[in-house]
Amino acid sequence: MLNSIAYITASSYLAAGLTIGLGAIGAALGEGYAAGLANESISYKPKMSGELLKNMLVGQAIAESAAIFALVVAILLLFAQPSSGSPIVAWSAIGAGLAMGLAAIGSGIGAGSPAGKACLAIVHQPSEKSRIMTTMLVGSAVCQTPAIFGMVISFLLMFMDFSSAPLYPAGAALLGAGLATGLAAIGSGLGSGLPAGAACLGIARQPKSGDKTMTTMLVGSAVCQTPAIFGIVISFLLIFMDFSSVPPYPGWAALLGAGLATGLAAIGSGVGNGFTAMEAVSGTARNPECNSETNRVMLIGMSVGQSTAIYGFLVSLLLVFTKMEPSTSLTSCLRLLGAGISSGFGGIGPGIGLGIVAASAVRWVARRPSSTVALIRTMLVGMAVTESTAIYALIVALLLLFVL
Amino acid sequence: MDEFTHIPQLTLHLFGFNLVFNTETIMMTWVVMGILIVFGFLATRKISFIPNPFQVVGELFVTAFYDLTSDALDEEMAKKYFPIICSLFMFLLLCNYLGIIPKLSEPTKDLNTPLSLGILGFVIAHYSGIKAKGFKKYAKEYFEPIFFMAPLNIIGELAKVVSISFRLYGNVIGGSIIILVVSHLIYSVALPPFMVVFFGIFVGGIQAFVFTMLTLVYISLQVK
Repeated sequence: MLNSIAYITASSYLAAGLTIGLGAIGAALGEGYAAGLANESISYKPKMSGELLKNMLVGQAIAESAAIFALVVAILLLFAQPSSGSPIVAWSAIGAGLAMGLAAIGSGIGAGSPAGKACLAIVHQPSEKSRIMTTMLVGSAVCQTPAIFGMVISFLLMFMDFSSAPLYPAGAALLGAGLATGLAAIGSGLGSGLPAGAACLGIARQPKSGDKTMTTMLVGSAVCQTPAIFGIVISFLLIFMDFSSVPPYPGWAALLGAGLATGLAAIGSGVGNGFTAMEAVSGTARNPECNSETNRVMLIGMSVGQSTAIYGFLVSLLLVFTKMEPSTSLTSCLRLLGAGISSGFGGIGPGIGLGIVAASAVRWVARRPSSTVALIRTMLVGMAVTESTAIYALIVALLLLFVL
Repeated sequence: MDEFTHIPQLTLHLFGFNLVFNTETIMMTWVVMGILIVFGFLATRKISFIPNPFQVVGELFVTAFYDLTSDALDEEMAKKYFPIICSLFMFLLLCNYLGIIPKLSEPTKDLNTPLSLGILGFVIAHYSGIKAKGFKKYAKEYFEPIFFMAPLNIIGELAKVVSISFRLYGNVIGGSIIILVVSHLIYSVALPPFMVVFFGIFVGGIQAFVFTMLTLVYISLQVK
């Protein structure tokens, strides 16, 4: 048997590995994408290579910031060892690692999009160089919000004192808190990069409507982050809840399931919303006159697109707040965990699908504003059908929660 | 970490009820309100063709936000909703910038501030929606595309309040936690000024703008 201090140290090392291992994925992909597009742009206009290299490096530096957050958290996990010997600290360390590591994936990939597209945009419209660079900076800074959420949760998990909380169910709750924000941030980070990239290209295409493009990008990216916000709300609930009111068994499964439900379901909606916002931004740049129409359809599409994340959020709230009978049987534990996993995984696909439906509607509203009414109607019906699989998952989750 | 979980509070016992005040948040909100009132007074005191510096800043805010409002709503309604949109932005911007000054803290760091502003926006949007379309048409929208989507549509509307307020709160508190931890690790030597510029000025400004724009867009979704 390990003694408790060794147990905590071991799990801190594991968590540090997870943090930077997962955190390195996103930034590497994003930076590679940016470098690829920079090469492509240099081949169009080799004379501008110095300019483009500078832009690529600045963009990559921002795309890397999520990985640097992960590095900071990993180093803290390695060297800032907690003094208390309660085994709960081991679980909170792993939760902290997962929150930061997973959250860095999305923001890293997302911030690659504005960095790369800005290079292309500068080649097409060299006179708007400084404006494109500003757009890239603002866009990739907004992309970092999900990673910042992950960092907030991982700091809370590392530095708050949980030593008086009971190992069951608090250990699983803290792990769930890390997973909720970490997983939810993947989709939102990835999604909010797409409109930022489209805005860089849009300003190159139509410099005159730059302000409108920028506003649409900010609103679009911000709404893309709603799924990550659901994740952080569930994490706050799980961190600050009163653990003594929950029975240890099957409470741990319910709280872990709550984290997984919102975290997983939010991935799809985040990415899907990103597609929708991207089309709205390029539509605004293409046809600035019907900007308000495009924005309206975008927001309707995005809020319907978030419904799968909302199903996950709903199941999480039910799992956290439903009164449970204490029971140590495996069935009653896995029943609750299964409810969370069902609505979580069930939300990923429909979330992306809904985003694609809304994206094509927005795209054609911008090109053909006269048929807006027909497009919105088709979009809503199409979305209702796309959503049906998420509703099946929700039904199964509710059956597991209340009937079985 | 205690700084973030502990909020200075004052509890009053009145007629058997406990009234809890978050003293620091209230004081900081008063500071922001005071600065805005003084600014408004200075900007409009001597309006002239050759403006004084305060008037220039005021005009910048007014023209920028009047254009944004009239883009999202139409010209007629823009006149009605522009004051709240512009003052919401100025209030939030100052709130987010207040933490840059040592010893002062952002009122937006307390979830109650963004949440109440989010509820304010929600109430305004729905009130103007009912007023513009009539209650019947307003209620009918909840039953689209199919009638059984109504509960989900209502939850979706409520989720907007949660998302708009937690977005601001998460960013502001995230910035201040990161600044605190990093300053603690390096004994406040070099990085904090840079980080204050990034999280305070850059992120704070963007999030104030995003909050304002989303409130405006939610109003325009309801009235159109």
